[in-house]
Amino acid sequence: MAKNKVEMRIPSDLVFERVVRAAAEEIGKQSGLSEEKVSDLTLVVSEAVTNAIEHGNRLQREINVGVVFSMENDRLEISVIDQGEKSQPPEIRRCAISEEAIEEGELRGLGLYLIHQLVDQVEFTSNEEGNTFTMWLHIPPQNGQATRRQDP
Amino acid sequence: MIQMEDRGNVAIVHIQTPSIDAVSAREIEELCGRSRKTTVLDFGEVAFINSAGISGLLKFIVAARKRGHLVYAIHVSPHHRKIFKMVELSRFMPIVKESELAQL
Repeated sequence: MAKNKVEMRIPSDLVFERVVRAAAEEIGKQSGLSEEKVSDLTLVVSEAVTNAIEHGNRLQREINVGVVFSMENDRLEISVIDQGEKSQPPEIRRCAISEEAIEEGELRGLGLYLIHQLVDQVEFTSNEEGNTFTMWLHIPPQNGQATRRQDP
Repeated sequence: MIQMEDRGNVAIVHIQTPSIDAVSAREIEELCGRSRKTTVLDFGEVAFINSAGISGLLKFIVAARKRGHLVYAIHVSPHHRKIFKMVELSRFMPIVKESELAQL
């Protein structure tokens, strides 16, 4: 069965991360995710898009970040694509706030950890054209139905 | 976006934005230096917080700690309780009930 896709492109300005987040919230609801899972979805999308804007495209407003939501029967796939330099998979810098981190003024770096905690699977690919960070969320069956409603 | 309310020894910071993110966190950071001995952040109107927002909150908490002040949180949603616990923010900003404010 073909995937239902929603594709967006935003300038690399953190204000537009809110636009993608609003779309993620609506897509989560339409996909049948619970209220808590919709909150998780909006957070991980926010984190991935923020990373693409800040670290991938380095806040260059004229360069776009692409976001693709692909909805299948039992899972939601979200790909965030930047046009940054080819790079290694990002590493989780921090798993929690610690006294040491506070002393050193290291107050960022929790985003990737949150993503890994809240989604079922992640994948990072990189080539000369940019980087793609993909996340998958399982969509549980609702009301005894095995699948989310599909348009004819 | 921010409204401070004095309740005797306790200052309540009402965060009047639905989103604490990279953009709005700057306004939280501007509060650094305005904490009181006991400062309570009210999240009643906050629907979304991301890691950039948590960073802004941390900057406020760190500035308050340097002045010997304590920071608490009230009206935290179940989702944000989960996130705060996940990153251990609750260690530095305990979540309390509004009814407990008089005992702080």
